[in-house]
Amino acid sequence: MLVIRPLQENDLDDLYAMAQNAGKGLTTLPADRELLQKKIAHARETFNQRCAPEAGLYLFALEDTELRKTVGISGIQARVGLDEVFYNYRLSITVNASKELGVHVRTPTLHLSNDMTDTSEICSLLLSDDYKGGGSGLLLSRCRFMYLDEFRKHFSEKVFAEMRGVSDRDGRSPLWDALGSKFFDMEFSEADMLSGLGNKAFIAELMPKYPIYLPMLPDPARAVIGRVHENTAPALKMLQAEGFNFNGLVDIFDGGPVVEAFVHNIRTVRESVNRYAMVTQTPIDLDVPAGERVMVSNRSFRDFRVTTIPTSCIGPDTVKMPPEVAEALNLESGDPVRLAPLKDNGPQFLHSHRSHDKADDRVRESRSRF
Amino acid sequence: MWLVRPAQPDDLEQILEIAGTQSARLSSTLPKHSEALASKIEHSLASFAGTVPASEAPRFLFVLEDTNTGQVAGTAGIDARAGNGQPFYNYRRDALVHASHELGVSRRVEVLYPSHSLTDQTLLCSFSIRPELRETEAFELLSRARMLFIAEHRQWFSSRLVVEIQGVQDEDGSVPFWDSLARHFFNMDFETADQYSSMLSKTFIAELMPPNPVYVTLLTERAQAALGQCHPLTKPNLELLLREGFHAGCYLDIFDAGPVLEARTDTVHTLVTSHRKSLHGRQDEAGDLCLISAGEGQAFRCTLARAEETLDDELKLSVSAWKVLGKSAGDAVRMAPL
Repeated sequence: MLVIRPLQENDLDDLYAMAQNAGKGLTTLPADRELLQKKIAHARETFNQRCAPEAGLYLFALEDTELRKTVGISGIQARVGLDEVFYNYRLSITVNASKELGVHVRTPTLHLSNDMTDTSEICSLLLSDDYKGGGSGLLLSRCRFMYLDEFRKHFSEKVFAEMRGVSDRDGRSPLWDALGSKFFDMEFSEADMLSGLGNKAFIAELMPKYPIYLPMLPDPARAVIGRVHENTAPALKMLQAEGFNFNGLVDIFDGGPVVEAFVHNIRTVRESVNRYAMVTQTPIDLDVPAGERVMVSNRSFRDFRVTTIPTSCIGPDTVKMPPEVAEALNLESGDPVRLAPLKDNGPQFLHSHRSHDKADDRVRESRSRF
Repeated sequence: MWLVRPAQPDDLEQILEIAGTQSARLSSTLPKHSEALASKIEHSLASFAGTVPASEAPRFLFVLEDTNTGQVAGTAGIDARAGNGQPFYNYRRDALVHASHELGVSRRVEVLYPSHSLTDQTLLCSFSIRPELRETEAFELLSRARMLFIAEHRQWFSSRLVVEIQGVQDEDGSVPFWDSLARHFFNMDFETADQYSSMLSKTFIAELMPPNPVYVTLLTERAQAALGQCHPLTKPNLELLLREGFHAGCYLDIFDAGPVLEARTDTVHTLVTSHRKSLHGRQDEAGDLCLISAGEGQAFRCTLARAEETLDDELKLSVSAWKVLGKSAGDAVRMAPL
């Protein structure tokens, strides 16, 4: 069984191995034991509410309970831009117009901004290759929206994600080569690595502060602004399905887009419903395709757990689960749980709360009489 | 003899002809259309007469005349207040150091800042001369006559003088700096913009330029190489101005990145070395060739003649030169060595 739970101290080895395997290009989790150790400690403080809410870093592990192994990680940073400055470029338009000259020229322009300051970021998603497919990635990503939903006061109303921008196989970024490298004598891969190690603000401070007029950049650089790396395309698609949209900001290094959504508009949030756990001894076949499963969370702040169960377990008020699932979620019969769809095209049962069902039926009946 | 005097309405046709022989120059302040030129001459005459309203900036236009033929051979101008009441645009070339203690790096980044700093400084402008005269004494007379005019009417002018020198332009008429920057905002080539600028004003075009600083490193290599460089044709002009004590500062033309030369008015060579003398006659021509000016305002004349200084502040000058200057014995003149 695959279960989401808060990251713990003993996840370090698995995490380190995962980071090593991820290789170049994925910099949210550099293969640096000390740094990973710090992140875990930070996450522990956060879940135990021993740090200020705005300093929170919520990291979740995806654990394979049979192997007792951590196979994925995802996170939410409660607020960005507080202890260091958070930079983006805003892609906007400068219009140059004169009726007398017959000139009306629109010039796309990058303005350095700190607009995401004080906003919650979803980040640090990494899944072992062995577990890709079958909905694990969706669980790992979407469990965060269930958490945001449950504990809204700890987060901003709007959340965002920075998407990885275009770079080639050798780790060269066309935008970095045309812009960043002119101000900071370094290869993109190196700058990227440094920023993963927490030096991004330092590098950003060396970057150009005045607006950059895009026509002054070479074509390959202009072409990648607001575009994602091909490996990130599925993640972008998933976020778009959740209601995230490009907000006009791009990464200052590689031009990758920033996508954002209001928490209350996120699909997982809108389609979540509450039930009560009902532990049953009747055997349940848990091994059903991702399309027939839903996410179920234990609604706990400190020990947030999420796994997936077959849609068929959902009743009008309760949700049936075998003892091993209840144990994985740290639940007993009668405890409240929250459900959300796993797949985009999953069944829409979740809207049909019992009381609504009856009301709907009544309406239909009364209509059919006339 | 060569004579520099205020431009008159009758000079219009000849000035247009000279303006036509000059290569494209966006920041030229010499109109290429007769209506605009006529009003410029009219304004110039009012400036010389001191009858320009206080709200308007005086602008002076001189011509170089061959007194033997009456032919006009060149023009030179002074705008008492650069921008003429409007902002006067330049780029200021400056540097920022992007440094980080944490990362142990420090990098110098060159930036072009739009600037109006030179607004209201006295601008030497509208210089044009028939190509065959470019390397002659007449060239020097035409350019330096303005300094003598300034010396004689010092209170009309500011404490600094500035001159824009034409920047790099290729043989096909393209301007690398324009193509790398301004072109993106106008969608037109330099020559088209030049045509507009002669009909409208440079300020008008400048106001359409992006108001933000520009990073030099993002310009094309050819544009970067052109920064502060002057057009080969301007070499004699540049050399003369450098001899006069002008120097290239941090200002560049916003269209072609040609250098803007600056000087403190009171230290300009011609102003420092010129002296007032009283006119004294002689029949023959003897002595050193020097610049001699006389007259105020509309009566200002400047010529090139051989003259001898005496110990009691007199200047011995041939009577034929008196006529050109419109002066006679005992009148005050100003002379400067060539």
